[in-house]
Amino acid sequence: MPAIIACFKWVVDEAYVRRMASGELDFSSVDYKIGEYDRNAIEEAVRLKETLGGSAIGITVSVPEATKGVKDALSRGCDQACFIADSSFGNLEPSQTAAILAEVIHSRIQSFDLIICGEGSSDLYAQQVGPRLSEKLGIPSVSFVQKLSIEGGKLLAERRVEEGIEVIAAPLPALVTVLPDINVPRIPGVKDTLMASKKPVVTIKKDELQPLGEACLQTLSITASRIERTCERFGTNAAEISRFVGSLRKTGVIR
Amino acid sequence: MAGIWIIAENREQTLELLRIGGELSTKTGTRLSVFLSQDRERARDYIECGADEVFILPPLTEDQSLDAYIPRIIVEAQQDVPDLILIPATARGKDMAARIAARIDTGLCSSCMALTFDDNHASFVMERLAYGGAAVQKVVCTTRPAMATIPPRTYEPADAVKGRQGQIINLPAHSPSTVKILEKKVKERESKDITESRLLVCVGRGVEKKEDVALARQLADVLHGELACTRPIAEEYHWLAEELCIGLSGAQVEPDLYLGLGVSGQVQHVTGFRNAKVIAAVNKDENAPIFKAADFGIVGDLYDVVPKLIAELKK
Amino acid sequence: MDFMLTEEQELIRQNMREFCKNFVDPIAVEIDENSRHPAELLQKLAEGDWLGMPIPQEYGGAGADQLTFVIAVEELSRSCASTGFTLSTHAGIVCMMFLLFGTEDQKKKFLIPLAKGQHLGAFALTEPAAGTDIMAATASAIIDGNDYVINGTKTFTTNGPTAETYLVFVWTDKAAGRKGMSTLIVPRSAPGLRVGEHFKKMGLRSSQTSEMIFKDCRVPRENLLGKEGMGLQMAMTGFDHGRIGIAAQCVGILQAALDESIRYSKERVQFGTPIARHQAIAWMIADMATALSAARFLTYHAAWLKNQNKPFSKEAAMAKLYASEAAMKHTVKAVQIHGGYGYCKGAKVERLMRDAKITEIYEGTSEAQRMVISGNVLR
Repeated sequence: MPAIIACFKWVVDEAYVRRMASGELDFSSVDYKIGEYDRNAIEEAVRLKETLGGSAIGITVSVPEATKGVKDALSRGCDQACFIADSSFGNLEPSQTAAILAEVIHSRIQSFDLIICGEGSSDLYAQQVGPRLSEKLGIPSVSFVQKLSIEGGKLLAERRVEEGIEVIAAPLPALVTVLPDINVPRIPGVKDTLMASKKPVVTIKKDELQPLGEACLQTLSITASRIERTCERFGTNAAEISRFVGSLRKTGVIR
Repeated sequence: MAGIWIIAENREQTLELLRIGGELSTKTGTRLSVFLSQDRERARDYIECGADEVFILPPLTEDQSLDAYIPRIIVEAQQDVPDLILIPATARGKDMAARIAARIDTGLCSSCMALTFDDNHASFVMERLAYGGAAVQKVVCTTRPAMATIPPRTYEPADAVKGRQGQIINLPAHSPSTVKILEKKVKERESKDITESRLLVCVGRGVEKKEDVALARQLADVLHGELACTRPIAEEYHWLAEELCIGLSGAQVEPDLYLGLGVSGQVQHVTGFRNAKVIAAVNKDENAPIFKAADFGIVGDLYDVVPKLIAELKK
Repeated sequence: MDFMLTEEQELIRQNMREFCKNFVDPIAVEIDENSRHPAELLQKLAEGDWLGMPIPQEYGGAGADQLTFVIAVEELSRSCASTGFTLSTHAGIVCMMFLLFGTEDQKKKFLIPLAKGQHLGAFALTEPAAGTDIMAATASAIIDGNDYVINGTKTFTTNGPTAETYLVFVWTDKAAGRKGMSTLIVPRSAPGLRVGEHFKKMGLRSSQTSEMIFKDCRVPRENLLGKEGMGLQMAMTGFDHGRIGIAAQCVGILQAALDESIRYSKERVQFGTPIARHQAIAWMIADMATALSAARFLTYHAAWLKNQNKPFSKEAAMAKLYASEAAMKHTVKAVQIHGGYGYCKGAKVERLMRDAKITEIYEGTSEAQRMVISGNVLR
């Protein structure tokens, strides 16, 4: 009966990030969500659990306000959650997140068969935590998986690479990062949401962990990305269409 | 300084990394090294394109993937700590890079799109996109080596200098990985490679029905270009093949002309073509973000505009 | 004062939003145009426990509180007011009446399949000659052996054509006046029941509405809900609950009208500038947004009172009155903002405007709400 861990990140919903006239980003009216790609990770863990038995454990490293995200993960079918929370965990760098996850999984969960991560977080999208975590735990990993199963005590996965697909076998325990088209995340039912807070959550505070290492990457700035374009507008009447095509021709990109 | 390393995957991207690696090694006065799987012929090619030394990794058996080299690279990196390791941001490259970074406890800038050396602080300043492409995150690595994965086509390929000399060093064998490839299925492309196309007509959600994609195709044909699409068109509606998706999680393209039809211009998508020579768009929402990213925009209903465009282009 | 929703309520709103985006929005225009009952959508709602939302889990429901239910009805109505009303009538009135007045056996037999969404419920009170004036009803039932025998005609019965279980209000003792009406549970299979054709309505077209004709229709005596003579009082309780649901439906309609108006007014250019920058339009949108907030707070307050087990009859009437009149007024404005495009089929605001009108009529007309409210405050 496998124990499957799904890692997820509670992220800013990028649709709410506004760009101010100054070029700075405005996060004042943002909402938060479980990262899009991490929903696939949770769904896959729950799907495997439902077919194979066992349990699915959701785990996140976040700020204490992320309790809603923990409930969301539980409503999506995780049996229990592990919530590593501190007000300083809002801007961790991938090496730090991976180190914290590795420590907690090693010391608190111990026995597991598979760890599933999304292909990347939908805020920073560094795509590092999954593979880094596998190295910290010393377990094999397969990234960018579009289909997976556990058969005969082994992981079978289809990894998507540039040239096509590789069918991979790896011993358990292992870690995978999954692509968005591996599944369609369910919409939790009302009962799932209302019962979520009845499921066990282990909350781990920073002082229960080993001292956190320094960030390997230091962020110097985050600014709105700029695209310098002429932004010329055209209407839809014949003269305007002709002017539009003429402008394209003038640039030389079409004949 | 101990040098700049490139982990090679395919030739095209290795040449691109040799371009930026060469610039930085000249600037920092260090050696440029390439780690390459088995191919001596290729090693000489890379030396002509700027590598000072090429480390040849022993051949892999059929069931082994590039990640089998990770332990060997880690041993080398721990012995002779380089200043910078560059890896292509391919599926395998991104995975390898993160795992190497974890093992040697260093920082990695994923999908780095600009890389410069700051003399004053003797550090590499790296830029990448965040928040679906809405933001640029500028980072430095506080640990050695600095690492970066670099997306395809970020740099021009390095030029070859005939007869350029360098060292070729064979590295010892490694124990095989427990992760085994059972089968490789090479993708049969349903359509042309959009990263090769000079002119792209991109279908967005403003196109209402699957049948209407034909209208976009007609326009692409008149332009002698190819069709591309936004992610929902392929992933949600399945109207076009997934390899036609442009964007953060799809293809990065740099055509001469990108023409968006009914594309709203979500940053995740715009990020995929922001380096196109000319960007044009048709959208009925005059506030659609695509217009801020476009050189030429027609505010109008694509069902009205596209037939007119086709007629005009046929003139 | 605490205006914070719980995390569960926020998640349920988010989940219903996603549900609508995936399953409701793609068919909303079609089911309106064809007056079609979206059975496949009801099936999906049942799978997500939405159809039994406010009913405890022991009776097949989800065990949500009234405010959470209101949020779900609001979000569903934002995409499709017809389906929002189907949910509100089924779960908010019919299921709720079983919960409040049913015996244990009745709950097991009728409520569980209703709350699980296996059956749909309907509430049959209105008659051709008895709308707001309920006392003018004529349908009656007499006892014959172990059965009630029902005769009469009900009309405008919501979910009539699709329901499996009907709550039917009949005189059992006309002479007793207000204490002479009783509520009978009538299964669709009852002999002597004929369900009429779905009415062709101006709006709310995919919500099914019909006549119900009872001709010596027999149901066993154990199908009496509550006690004989309690019918009218029970109907009033049903209305109190139902009005919160209608108010929530109106909040959804208003939100949709605002969403559409904001989107269109930023897109539409006249005199060289988006019409949102014309003050005439900007002020319509300001009024709409304000009315939406007011309607929402009245509605949530009524639901909150019900959650606190406090009287909420007056507040439900106020919420229903205000929200329905605001929905009508501002959907007309939304069509105005859209101009000729808003008057054409396919524009969402056109559907919203047609759907809004009924909210001033059913479950107590605006006039009836004013009677309830004035009766309360002038007491």
